[in-house]
Amino acid sequence: MYVEFLGIPRQRAGLSELEVEASTLGQLLGTLATRCPALRELITADGLHPSIVANLNGDQFVSDVRTPLAANDRLLILSADAGG
Amino acid sequence: MREYIGGSGLGARLLLDEGGATADPLSPEAPLIFAFSPLVGSPLTTSAKFAVVSKSPLTGRFNDSLASSGFAISGKRAGCDAIVLVGRAPSLSVLVIDDGTVRLEPADDVRGETCAIAEEKLRARLGADYLIASIGPAGERAVRYATISHDGRHAGRGGSGAVLGSKNIKAIAVRGTQRTEWAHPRELTELSRDLSKRSFGPATAKYRELGTATNLLTFNRFGTLPTRNFQSGTFDEAENLSPEQLSVAHARTRASCVACTIGCEHIYSLGDRGVRLEYESLFALGSLCGVGDGEVVLRASRRCDELGIDTISTGGTIAFAMECVERGVLDEPWLRFGSGDALLKAIELIGLREGIGNMLADGSRRAADIIGHDTIAFAPQVKGLEIPGYEPRGLQTMALGFAVGARGADHNRSGAYDVDFSDKVDRRNATLESVRHAIETEDKAALMDSLILCKFLRRVLEDFHAESAAMLRAVTGWDVTPDELREGARRIVAAKHQFNVLAGWTLAEDTLPDRFLNTPLPNDPEALLTRERLQDLVAEYHRLRERPSGRA
Repeated sequence: MYVEFLGIPRQRAGLSELEVEASTLGQLLGTLATRCPALRELITADGLHPSIVANLNGDQFVSDVRTPLAANDRLLILSADAGG
Repeated sequence: MREYIGGSGLGARLLLDEGGATADPLSPEAPLIFAFSPLVGSPLTTSAKFAVVSKSPLTGRFNDSLASSGFAISGKRAGCDAIVLVGRAPSLSVLVIDDGTVRLEPADDVRGETCAIAEEKLRARLGADYLIASIGPAGERAVRYATISHDGRHAGRGGSGAVLGSKNIKAIAVRGTQRTEWAHPRELTELSRDLSKRSFGPATAKYRELGTATNLLTFNRFGTLPTRNFQSGTFDEAENLSPEQLSVAHARTRASCVACTIGCEHIYSLGDRGVRLEYESLFALGSLCGVGDGEVVLRASRRCDELGIDTISTGGTIAFAMECVERGVLDEPWLRFGSGDALLKAIELIGLREGIGNMLADGSRRAADIIGHDTIAFAPQVKGLEIPGYEPRGLQTMALGFAVGARGADHNRSGAYDVDFSDKVDRRNATLESVRHAIETEDKAALMDSLILCKFLRRVLEDFHAESAAMLRAVTGWDVTPDELREGARRIVAAKHQFNVLAGWTLAEDTLPDRFLNTPLPNDPEALLTRERLQDLVAEYHRLRERPSGRA
C-alpha cells in the first residue's frame, strides 16, 4: 500500500509518497516511525500526535491502530488543522 | 463586561445597546465599534488583538472582523476597553486618541493613499508612538468589502472599512501611556510562560513552518479546493501555488504579530517588498479564478492589501463574474478564468469603483441581482458574504457552519472544517449528530474571538475552557469558571443572532446557493448535499440553540 504525506508530515518526511507493507494502522505507523526518523515526534506505533490525522483513501479519517488496511489502500497523513 | 468578556462579545453587546440594527450601515447613525479585551496588553501570547464590529454593508447583518498587533495594546493603554464611533466628520479626517483625549485632524494629505502609506505618513506627522488603523482607497469609495488595516494586517471581512470611510474617517491614531494592573501578576506570569513554551511545539508547527498556504495541496488532494467559482474541487495547477513551489522563485521569510510566539506569517519576496500570503488569499485569487501563476497571485494579494479590500470577497466576486462571462450573461470578454491580467485589472477597477468594478465592488449577491438570468444560483455567498476556501459539498459540517453563520459564510466564526477533517463525522454525509459538533466549534470561536486569543492556539490549549478561565482570573481577579465561559460563549452567539433578528433576519437566509444543493461535486459524485438535508441540519441547529422557529 501507499502512504501520502501532506503538510508538516510531508515536510518532515522529505517526500510526498512512500510504499509500505502493513495490515493494520498501528503496524503502518510503527514502520513509518522506523523508516522516517524525522516523523518520530509526530508518529509512533501507538498513534498520531494530536496535530496530525490519518485518512484512508480520501474517504474516512482513522485513528484506531487496529484499523485493518488492504494492499491497495492509500493512507493520507496530514496536519490536523485545516483552517487558515 | 464579564458577561461578554471583550472583542467580538463586547462589540456585539455594545452594538445592540447602541441600536442601529435597522439603520443603513453606511449612514452616520450606524455605530462602528473597536473592541479590545481584558487580556490585551498582558504577556499572554497572541493576545494583542482587536475586533471591529458593526452592521455589515455587504450583508446587512452583524459583522465582526478581527486584526492583530500594537493598535490593540495602544488602545488599551489609552484607557479604552472599546471605541464607539457614530456620526460623520465634515470632511475626510483622522481620529486621534491621545491617552483618553479625542480630536479630529484633517486627512487631506493621505486621501487616496494605500493603507501602508497612510500609516507611514500619519506616524511621520503625529509621532512614532502612535499606532494607526486605516482604510485604503477602497474604504474611501465605500467598496462593500473594504478592510481596516493595521501594520499590514486587516480586519478583513464584511466591509468594516466602508463603514469607517462612510464616517469620513481615513484612520484612527491611538497613543496610550497608561499601565493596566493585573489582579494576580505572579500567576499570570507563570501562565504566560507555560503557554508560550507550549506554543513552540508540534501543535503549531504547521503555521510556523509552512503557513496556512499549505492547506492548498491538502484541499486539492481531498477534492475540496474551490476552483473556477466552485465548479470543481480540484485545480490542475495547484502544485504551482504550493508554499514549496512559491518559495522557489520568491524567497520566504517569517514574521509575527506583536506579543505572539507562533510566528505564522510567511512573507514572499516580490520586487523590493514582501507579500504576506495566507491560504484564503491564495485560493480566492488563485484556484477560484483559475489562476495558477504564483507571481500573479502574489501581485493580486498585494494589490488587495494596498487598496484595502478583502481577498476572499474580491476573489469570489471576480470568479463569479468570470463564470457569468463564460456563460454569456455578462459582456466583458476580457474577464476570463485563468487570465492573470484580467484578475489584476478587475482588482484595480473594484478598488477604484471604475467600470465594471463599480458593480463588483458591491459583492457577488448584488451583482447577481443586476445581471439576472438566475445567476444568484451560483453567486458564491451566504447572506451576501463570499464563501471562503472550503467546498461545502465535500465538507458538510462546514456547510452547516456557513449556512447558519451570523455574519454569513465564514471560516473564522465556525471551525466546523476541523470536525470534517476528523473521525467524528462522515464529511460527505452530515447527520444530525454533526450539528452538535458544529455548535461546539461556533461557541469555541465566539469565545476565542472575545478573549481574544489566536485560533492557532486551539490545539495548544489542552483544556480550553479551564485554561481560558485561569487566564481571565489572573488578569481580572474575576472568579471565572469554565462553565461560566461556556455559558458566555452561548450568550455571545445569541447576541449576534439577536442583532440579525432585529435587522430583519429570516430562517430562509440560513442556506447555501442552489449550486451546492441537490447537485454533486463534479469531481466527487459522493459529495452530494440535498436541500432537504441542509434544511434538517439548520432546523436541528436552531432547535439545539433553543430558538423556536429559528427566532431568538
